[in-house]
This record gives sequence, structure tokens and C-alpha cells, in this order.
Amino acid sequence: MLVLRRRAGESFLIGDEIEVELLAVTQQGAKIGIRAPKETIVLRKELKITQEQNAHAASSPSLRDLEQTIRKLRP
Amino acid sequence: MPSIETKYFGTLPCAEGSVFDFPQGLPAFEDEKTFVLIESPEGAPLVFLQSMARASLCFLALPILVVDKNYQLAIAPEDLEALSLDIERQPELGPEVTVLALVSLHDELVATANLMAPVVLNVKIRRGLQAIRRDFLYSPEYPVNAHPAQKNAAEEVC
Repeated sequence: MLVLRRRAGESFLIGDEIEVELLAVTQQGAKIGIRAPKETIVLRKELKITQEQNAHAASSPSLRDLEQTIRKLRP
Repeated sequence: MPSIETKYFGTLPCAEGSVFDFPQGLPAFEDEKTFVLIESPEGAPLVFLQSMARASLCFLALPILVVDKNYQLAIAPEDLEALSLDIERQPELGPEVTVLALVSLHDELVATANLMAPVVLNVKIRRGLQAIRRDFLYSPEYPVNAHPAQKNAAEEVC
């Protein structure tokens, strides 16, 4: 992983079209601004993980698999 | 009593108290705004979050303390606000909120629970959301049913 040190007000570029600016740093965390083409999707990583988990969880099992699962989960 | 088409239980009467509004939907399912919490003796310890609008969409879930009896809530202030809960403190499990971990099944029927993003239900106003933790202290794929043999071995070691 590339590691950069930036102060508030400083920015860096990813490719030609994406600029990431460190706006402010407080005890609660860093405030970050992103300038990118409209079609670039910017997502918090944990949201992306949750979307993927939910999509997988939604393909929940057939009734037969469900019965086996419940049997396994019972102490 | 109104009834609901379900994925696993056919048509069920749905008690008003078990219907929850999800104003934001769930990540990847933002259009699903209403879920019914189904608890059935045959399904225990699993509970079911059945979409009201789509019979084929039903999440399997476990009460969070069943997965990890020491689970510590860390619901973000904006999520507490969206649930009309006190933003100054974490809610009390049981009287104030029901907290569920969504369950995924993998090959060989290994089940994992998402402890990173529990579904939090405000039981009083019957509103819910998926409260994504920011701290990465808990896994989104926490294994919940170790193979019986492994489980016994682990118990012996402890």
C-alpha cells in the first residue's frame, strides 16, 4: 500500500481525473473531499462489504437445506 | 388480520407488532422498505426477516447474543437518530431494541453471521435499519456452526 502524509488543505491525485483532498483532521477522524467524474462510484468500504454480504445472504437456501442448517445450529 | 406470502412458511397471518419499516431499505436492497420478523419454533434459533413486498426475499438471522454472547453494540449516532433512539448512549438490548445478525450459507452448509452490520429494530416504533459498524472490530463473516467434531475438540481444549 502506498502511504502518503498530507496536512489539512493538501490533496493528491489518482490518475488524471480523481483528486482527493484532506479537508480537516479532528479527534473524531479525517474529513476527506473527493473530486471525480460523475460515473466514478465512491463507496465507504464497509457499505460495499455489507451490500455483498446481503446479496449473498439473500440467496438463502431451499427449504431442505434450511432444515439441515437449523439442525446444525441447534446446540 | 392481514396476511403475507412468505418464502418458507406459505401464507401467514401477520401480527401488527412484527411488521417493521425500513425507511432506507437494506444495502443492496434499498427498495425493500417493509420486513416482517418471523419467529417460529421449527426455525429456532433462526429467525426470519421476510420482505413484505417480495415473497422470494427472506433473510435468515440470529439474535446477536446467540452468535456472540459478549457482543458490544457500536451504533453510529446518525443510525441511532434514524431509529429515534437516544444518540448519547447505546440502546439496551431487549427492552429497547432487537438486534439481529444476518446469516449467509456457504458450501457444505457452513453458516456465517454478519456481526459488522447488525440489523437493529426499535421495537417500540417498529422501525429498523442495518447499522454498519465503522470500527471493523467484528467480522462480516463470523462462523456460527463449526463442524460438530471440531466443536467438541475446541470444547475439550477450553
